[in-house]
Amino acid sequence: MAEYDRRTIEELVDGTIDFYKLKDMLSNFKDKNRFETYLSILQERVPWSDPILLPVGLHLYIVQKQDGSRIVKCDCGHEFCDEKDNWKLHSMIHVRDTEEKMSEIYPKLLAPDPQWQVIREYYCPSCATQLEVEAVTPWYPIIKDFEPDIDTFYNEWLQRPLPIGE
Amino acid sequence: MARRAQILAIDAGGTMTDTFIIDDKGDFVVGKAQSTPEDESIGLLNSARDALTYWDTTVTDEFPKLLAGVYSGTAMLNRLVSRKGRKVGLIVNKGLEDFHRMGRSIQSYLGYSYSDRLHLNTHRYEPPIVPRSLTRGVTERVDLFGNVVIPLYEHEVEPAVEELLEQGVEAIVISLLQSYKYPDHERKIRDIANEVIQRTGKKIPVFASVDYYPVRKETHRTNTTIIEAYAADPSRETLQKINTSIKESGATFDLRVMASHGGTISTQANELARTLVSGPIGGVVGARYLGEYLGIPNIACSDIGGTSFDVALITQGDLSINSSPDMARLVLSLPLVAMDTIGAGAGSFVRIDPNFKSITLGPDSAGSRVGVCYEEGGIDTVTVSDCHVVLGLINPNNFLGGEIQLKPERAYEAVKTQIAEPLGLTVEEAAYGVIDLLESQLRNYLESMILGKGYSPSQYVCLSYGGGGPLHTAGYIKGLGFEDVLVPAWAAGFSAFGCGAADFEYRYDKTLDLNVNDGAVDEEKVQAGDQLQVAWDELIEKVAVEFDKNGIERKNVDFRLYFRMQYQGQLNDLEIEAPISSFRETQDWDALVNAFEETYTRVYAKAATSPELGYSVTGAIVRGIVDVAKPRIPEEPLVGETPPEEAYLGKRNVYWDGKYLEADIWEMEKLQPGNRIEAFAILESPATTFVIPPGFTTYLDKHRIFHLQEIE
Repeated sequence: MAEYDRRTIEELVDGTIDFYKLKDMLSNFKDKNRFETYLSILQERVPWSDPILLPVGLHLYIVQKQDGSRIVKCDCGHEFCDEKDNWKLHSMIHVRDTEEKMSEIYPKLLAPDPQWQVIREYYCPSCATQLEVEAVTPWYPIIKDFEPDIDTFYNEWLQRPLPIGE
Repeated sequence: MARRAQILAIDAGGTMTDTFIIDDKGDFVVGKAQSTPEDESIGLLNSARDALTYWDTTVTDEFPKLLAGVYSGTAMLNRLVSRKGRKVGLIVNKGLEDFHRMGRSIQSYLGYSYSDRLHLNTHRYEPPIVPRSLTRGVTERVDLFGNVVIPLYEHEVEPAVEELLEQGVEAIVISLLQSYKYPDHERKIRDIANEVIQRTGKKIPVFASVDYYPVRKETHRTNTTIIEAYAADPSRETLQKINTSIKESGATFDLRVMASHGGTISTQANELARTLVSGPIGGVVGARYLGEYLGIPNIACSDIGGTSFDVALITQGDLSINSSPDMARLVLSLPLVAMDTIGAGAGSFVRIDPNFKSITLGPDSAGSRVGVCYEEGGIDTVTVSDCHVVLGLINPNNFLGGEIQLKPERAYEAVKTQIAEPLGLTVEEAAYGVIDLLESQLRNYLESMILGKGYSPSQYVCLSYGGGGPLHTAGYIKGLGFEDVLVPAWAAGFSAFGCGAADFEYRYDKTLDLNVNDGAVDEEKVQAGDQLQVAWDELIEKVAVEFDKNGIERKNVDFRLYFRMQYQGQLNDLEIEAPISSFRETQDWDALVNAFEETYTRVYAKAATSPELGYSVTGAIVRGIVDVAKPRIPEEPLVGETPPEEAYLGKRNVYWDGKYLEADIWEMEKLQPGNRIEAFAILESPATTFVIPPGFTTYLDKHRIFHLQEIE
């Protein structure tokens, strides 16, 4: 069974890992301790101490609060909402729905027609980090991307206790 | 006993140089020495010296007796894979400067296992051999029929070449769209480039793709011409140095190099890129030679090495050729002996799938590091070889002739903790399960390969060779119903034997597009035939020029004409030897069509022939062959069924299908022609092990070839 040192998983998180090393990892069965190592690296890098249960984006985590609730939290410490709720609805949203706004990021004539497609950018209200970008039709609802069943994941898949019991 | 060394075959690898010296009785010795990349001839002579010590003789004594020498090596391939070739500049059509960089999408996953091919995250393009900064465009355009749509803007060539020279390129490659249809523009650019280079006083070779590979598919053609300039041409000097050095040691022949089309070529050959991939085809070439000698037209060749299982078919005495193979993750337009490979060999890693608790094999392997049982190899994952050791199939004290000491207790412990315990099996059951799984994978693969090509195993004789082949032959042929199953006593050296048995042969290909409808009038047939003949003449000339470099006259060359044909609009063509010696009249066209339909019927089905679609000739091929000395196939008088006592080495406990059995151990070299060996037996030789499991029997024929038979 493959096993990797902490340094390798850090490189993986940072995206600085050598491709051939990565290819070997991708082609192999997943190492048993990966999630634990991965989570502890993420935990070490955030300035707050609420235990991370699961990452839900590049800068977002579902964390366990002392009072038993589970909320979505940003790198910077901004707390969005309960994990059952859609964090996107609690963020700052910038919609590029005119040719002018499109032209800020696309060369002329290479942008989508805003009547057909708009670009929605989601930002953290505290640190202004871009958290997510969607290219969708203008009428498209704001979808919740990911609805993890954290209890089953911990109890049955990982077989590992949750940081705070139910 | 005085030896008569006959053939020298050299396999120069990245770390070790192996030499095989074959005598007139088919006996051979293998020598090994460290490769010496700065001057390969040093390693080669050390290796030959090492080989000849087994015969108590020396290079000075034996080299003058040699009749031929064949080189195959990975030095060139290493130059390519490790990207240590020349700095090459590329001139293409203006507007298409990125096509080499973009490549074909298949190049992003070539060489991957099936699961990785499906797993897109693993796909990746290697950096191009010629970077975009060394690529220049020149305006011109030729359509696919060979008509000039935009003439060549000659005034653009000079600045393009000058810019490349300023950047310090060491070679220039020219490749234009459809140039195989209209070569003039590429040649014009080549001539201008040569003038510019001459003016600057530099000495830089220029490679126009049409002078090398006048074939369709520009990515393939460009890649191949670039490799020629980047890695192959720079190796010419190395080869000539080796040639000089063996001549100084008394050899009287010109060294030949194994080439991908299954023949050997001179070090002075125009196209050297095809010598890059020559290693694995040696065995197939040897099988064809053996088949010719024994009168066996259809052979299924199977070879198990440390990392892979290779299968190739010889049908009606002919190898099949793949005209767009790949190498070092590049698609190429070289003729390569077609071979199918799966990543399952003696060194394949054995693991338990953590999700499904099933045994998985490979696709990665320990290669020369054997397995856990070889402590010095530093491997800690169980390999197939470890299972062999656990079962008692291989003798840990006689692996590679005792060169490597294996530790059975290490193998036992590793199989126990990694495979047996997680599955709740005994160690022997687990190891036997691994071997059983491997053999059924190989068997399925072999069968599907033959059935997939439209044939059936009962039409073929299966030939098994390589270091690991005979160990599993019985397992992977079981129940397939081959006409016969052969294991040459020199199985381990069979690839080298094959290199020695290769013809001195050049093969050149040219793409054509000649369409003739069903029921066409005679004039159309003659017109198409005449164009085919023009292509053949051009290729004959090219072949003759090559042989001329070695002072071989045209009249001594056996020219064989081939063509590629398909039904109009179909995607796959067939390569067929022309039933005519030259094209003269309408009947000749009909003969070509008949030959095509006969082959089509054999490969697909009679009912699939579709003459109403009309015919396309898609290519002309010429092979020129010159007789050379080849290794002799041994022939000894038959002695009798009872093997001699001195060949008997005793008994060993071997675990087989649920219980320990006592197997007879025989020394392969001491068995005599005519001997029959009953199961359960293991035949050992320094470099291979041949297992005769229950349900099988074998006898050794007068050519020192074992026939393995299944008992009903």
